[in-house]
Amino acid sequence: MRMNNKFGVFLGVAALALFGAGVARADDQLDAETKARIDRYEKGPATIDVSKYPQAIQDNYETFSQKCAQCHKLSRPVNCDYVLPDEWSRYVKRMMHKPGSGIDSADGKKIYEFLTYDSSVRKKAMLDDKLAKLSPADKAAAEAKIKEVHDKYDNK
Amino acid sequence: MSDELKSNTSPQPDAGPAAARSTVPIWIIVLTLLLLFLGAVYFDHHSGWFDKQVYAPYTSAGQLASYQPKSGAAAAQARGRTAYEAACGICHGSDGLGKPGQAPPLTGSEWVAKDVASLARIPLAGLNGPIQVAGKDWNLSMAPMGAGMSDSDLAAVLTYIRESWGNKYGAVSADEVKAVRAAINGNAPSAADLARMTPVERGHAVFQKFGCAQCHGPDAKGGVPNPNAKTAEQVPSLIYVADGYTKDELIAFIKRGERDIPRMNPAGPEPPHFMPQWGPIITDAELDDLAAYLLSLKPRGENLGF
Repeated sequence: MRMNNKFGVFLGVAALALFGAGVARADDQLDAETKARIDRYEKGPATIDVSKYPQAIQDNYETFSQKCAQCHKLSRPVNCDYVLPDEWSRYVKRMMHKPGSGIDSADGKKIYEFLTYDSSVRKKAMLDDKLAKLSPADKAAAEAKIKEVHDKYDNK
Repeated sequence: MSDELKSNTSPQPDAGPAAARSTVPIWIIVLTLLLLFLGAVYFDHHSGWFDKQVYAPYTSAGQLASYQPKSGAAAAQARGRTAYEAACGICHGSDGLGKPGQAPPLTGSEWVAKDVASLARIPLAGLNGPIQVAGKDWNLSMAPMGAGMSDSDLAAVLTYIRESWGNKYGAVSADEVKAVRAAINGNAPSAADLARMTPVERGHAVFQKFGCAQCHGPDAKGGVPNPNAKTAEQVPSLIYVADGYTKDELIAFIKRGERDIPRMNPAGPEPPHFMPQWGPIITDAELDDLAAYLLSLKPRGENLGF
C-alpha cells in the first residue's frame, strides 16, 4: 500500500511535468504548426505514378518535376492538401512570380493543369471533401475548371 | 549415500552471506527516475532545440525585460537596449560594430555623433544608397525601422546608441524625435484626409509610412539588390501578389515576415535584406488598407490563362 502511494505521487508529478513541458513547447514558435505540416508532406513519396495519365499530362508532369524541384522537395506538393483549381492556380502563380523562378506563363499553365488533373484523380477523396464544403457557386466554378482540364487532355 | 542426497537438496548450513533481493529502497529508484525525468523536461525546456536562438543568453524577450530595472536613467538605458536589440541589433550587431555587407558600424560613426535631427531621420525615414561611414563606403538600404516606434521608444534607442560602446554624445529626448518625425511627415495625409480616402489610397499611404518602398521599390516593382538571395538576388516585386495570395494570406504573411531568406548559393553569405515581422508594428486597420493597395497593383488586362 505504501508503495502504491509513492507510485501515485510519482505519476502525479510526472503528469504535471509533462503538462508543463507541453505548455513550454506550445509557445515555442508561431509557425511551428506550418513547419510540422510541411515536414509531414516532405516525408511522403516524391514521385507520382503517371503511367495511366494521358501522354500530354505526363509531359506536364516532367515540367512540374523539373521546375518545382529547383526550390523545394517535390514531395511537398505531391503530398500536400491543396486540391482545388483555385488553390493550385494561386500557389503556382505565387512561385512563378518570384524573381528568378525560371517558370514562364506557359510552364506555369502546364504545371497548374498537371496538378489540377492529378488532384482530381489521385486525391479524389480529398477533392470531393473540399468541394462539398464550398458554396454552390464556388463548387460549380471549381468543377467547371476541373472539367476544362479533363476535356483538354482526356482521350487525346 | 544419504548424506550426499541431503547435501544436494538443502542449503549448506554454513554457506556465506548472500545478497538479498532488494537492498535499494524502492523510493530511491522512484526518486532517481523522477529526477531523470525532471532533468529531461528541463533540457527540453531550455535547449531551444535546433533554433539558432539557443545561444542567446535569454530564453525570451519577456524574460530579458523582466530583468531590467523599472525606473530612472537605468530603466531608460535598458529600454533603449531592449528596443535596439529587437529592431537594430540583427544587422548593426549587439556590439554596434555593424556587419560587412549588411549594416555599417554605429561605434565611431560620424552619423551617430552628428546633430540629433540627422541621426533621428535615419530610423524614421530609412536610408538608401551610397554613404560613407567611418572612412568606408557603404551602399545598402535600410527600412525605416523606427517609423512604427513611439517617440519615447525611439528616443531611448537613439540615446542607447549615442551612449554605448564608447560613444559619448548625450541623450536624445522624445520631443526631439517628435519634431523630426513632424518634419518628415509634413506632407503625410492628416486624419481628416485619411477618412476621405479610399482603402487603396490609404494603403498607399501606409506603404509610404512604413518605408516598404525602401526595399520593394517606390512603385512596389522590386529590383532592390539583395545579394545571394535565391530570388535572383533582388527583393521581390509586389505587383503580382493578387495572383498568388488571398487577402488573408497576404496580411498573415506581412505580419509574420520572413527572417530566413533562401540563399542562391547555400554556402554563400546571408542575404542582407529580409522581410521584417510587421505584426507588432502596423495596426490591423492599416494592414487591411495596405493589402487593398497591394492587391490593386496587378497590371490591368494581364491574364495568364489559368
